[in-house]
This record gives sequence, C-alpha cells and structure tokens, in this order.
Amino acid sequence: MNIPVLICDDSTLARKQVKKSLPSNWDVEVQFASNGREALNIMREQQIGVLFLDLTMPEIDGIGVLEANHAEKLVDFTIVVSADIQPEMQNRVAELGALAFIQKPVNTTKLTEILQQYGLL
Amino acid sequence: MNEITLTEEQRDCLQELINVAMGQASDKLARYLQTFVHLQVPYIELIDSEVLPERFAETYAQEGVSLVSQGFYGEKGILGESLLIYKSHDAHGIAEILGYEPDDVSEVEQLTDISSILTTTFLNGLAEQIDNQLAYSAPRVVSSMETPLEHHLQQLSFNWDLALKVDISYQVVDFSFNCDMVLLIPGEAIKNIQKVLDQILDEF
Repeated sequence: MNIPVLICDDSTLARKQVKKSLPSNWDVEVQFASNGREALNIMREQQIGVLFLDLTMPEIDGIGVLEANHAEKLVDFTIVVSADIQPEMQNRVAELGALAFIQKPVNTTKLTEILQQYGLL
Repeated sequence: MNEITLTEEQRDCLQELINVAMGQASDKLARYLQTFVHLQVPYIELIDSEVLPERFAETYAQEGVSLVSQGFYGEKGILGESLLIYKSHDAHGIAEILGYEPDDVSEVEQLTDISSILTTTFLNGLAEQIDNQLAYSAPRVVSSMETPLEHHLQQLSFNWDLALKVDISYQVVDFSFNCDMVLLIPGEAIKNIQKVLDQILDEF
C-alpha cells in the first residue's frame, strides 16, 4: 500500500527538491502544503504517514506545526528539512518529536540514508 | 533603461537559494558567538540604480551607518558587490559581541571581522548551490559620517543597473544586533544569474 507523504515548504523549488529526492523504489503518494496552516489542515483530515517539514515559513512555521503535532499526535514520522541548522534549533526540533533533521539542500543520498535508518524504506 | 524582471519561478528559486545561504551564515555566526540567531523569511526585491540611493537615504537618514563593501567575482559572469549595513548604534556594540575589550581593536577591524563571517559564508553558500566559485576583493569600510553612501555607490568598479536587494536581518538574540545585507549586481550579471536559475528550474 502507498504511504501518504506530505511535503510542507513555502518554496515551490524546495517542495520539488524534496519530491525529486524521494527514493524511486519508495511506494508513496505525495501531497503538498505551502505553509504550516495548510499542512495542519491536511494532517487533521487525513492519515499522513511521513511529513517532510520546512521551518522558516509564513503563517504557521515549522515549530508551530511540530507543537500542534506533538499535542494532537497527528503524524508519527516527521523529518525536518531546513536551512536553519543552528544547534539550538536542531535541539528544539528533536524535543518536539521530529525524527530527523536534514540540512538543505536535500538530495536522494541524504534522504535515503535517513529513511533506511528509521526503517521507513 | 532596459527592463529586467524575474519570473515568479525565478524569484522563488532565488529566494530558496538565499534562504539556504542565509541559514549557513547564521549558523556560523551562532556557533561563533555561542548564541541563537533568529531568522526570518528573507525579502528580495530588484531595485533600479536610480532609486537605491534615495531608498538608502530614507532608511538610514536618521542615524549614521557604517557599511562594509566587498566585491565578488565568479565564473559564468556572476559578479557583484555585497554591502553589509550597520546602524552606528549596532556597530558600537560589535566589540561586546565579539568579546573584545574596548579599544582592543578599531571599529573598522571589528566591522571587517563580523562582516567576513557573514558575507563570505553567505556568498560561498550561494556559490556552492549554483556550482560556482567566487573570489573576493578586500573589504572596504565606509562610514556615512565621512563619505555619503551615494558617493560610495558611484565609485564601484562597475555600472550597476539594478540592485538585487536582499533584506536579511540577522537578529542576535543575546545582544540585540541587526544588520542588513544588500547585493548589487550589474545588468549582465543579473541575466547570467537568471540563466543559472533557469537551469536549476529545468532540473525539477
């Protein structure tokens, strides 16, 4: 069965980069959200298997999504894909239950490694 | 005046490249100062050469500013000048941020130190993403008290038609420090950047 995947980033290019970096042998169905608010709406209505989440976004940012997800237990596997790679930010994201942190720009090698590490692939 | 505009896709692409480069620069600064730098979505606009001096005057008229100006030159006709602009109030606080004793080093040296962290990390991050390598000219510190900013802009080695103005506010939480970054890019180089952006967009 397809895994429902949600990619949330305010940049069109960044969303495409994540989608293109997904391993070709991974059976997924991809949806997109362009800010945190859109992402939360989708997460509350549908079962999402894996969420790829940017941090610096308008409306609700990545931290806001992680906080809501932490409280409401919507998605089990969240992988943060961010340009903001400061140590303090990485700790904060981990505390809020994100599985992994990928430094932008994302590529297939980095992403495959993480997915294998957590048994998602 | 020849009209150069970015398409919506080009703007989105450029914004994302800048986002990543800015993230690297803030990370470097945060680790160096052992603090946290608050990041916002960068604001990008193209500004006509005739408008920028006025805009500078409006933004910085009330207080003196110091700017650190540094040229960069890459392959594929990518070149420009990076300006880091500090309000004088913030410039005075840099010694504390860097942990220098007062009178340890001159304000010019302090500005050059912090600018080299931000400018070179940012520009190297940008260059890496577009598969380019940049060389830099020596940084020059210009104080608006001594030289009007317009004069400095006129003295640059190229005639720029359009500035790619990137408002990046690096807010260092523990020290309340801000600075603005502006990239000035001559017309031909903007077209070359557009070609690079189109190549990236074609890949996706």
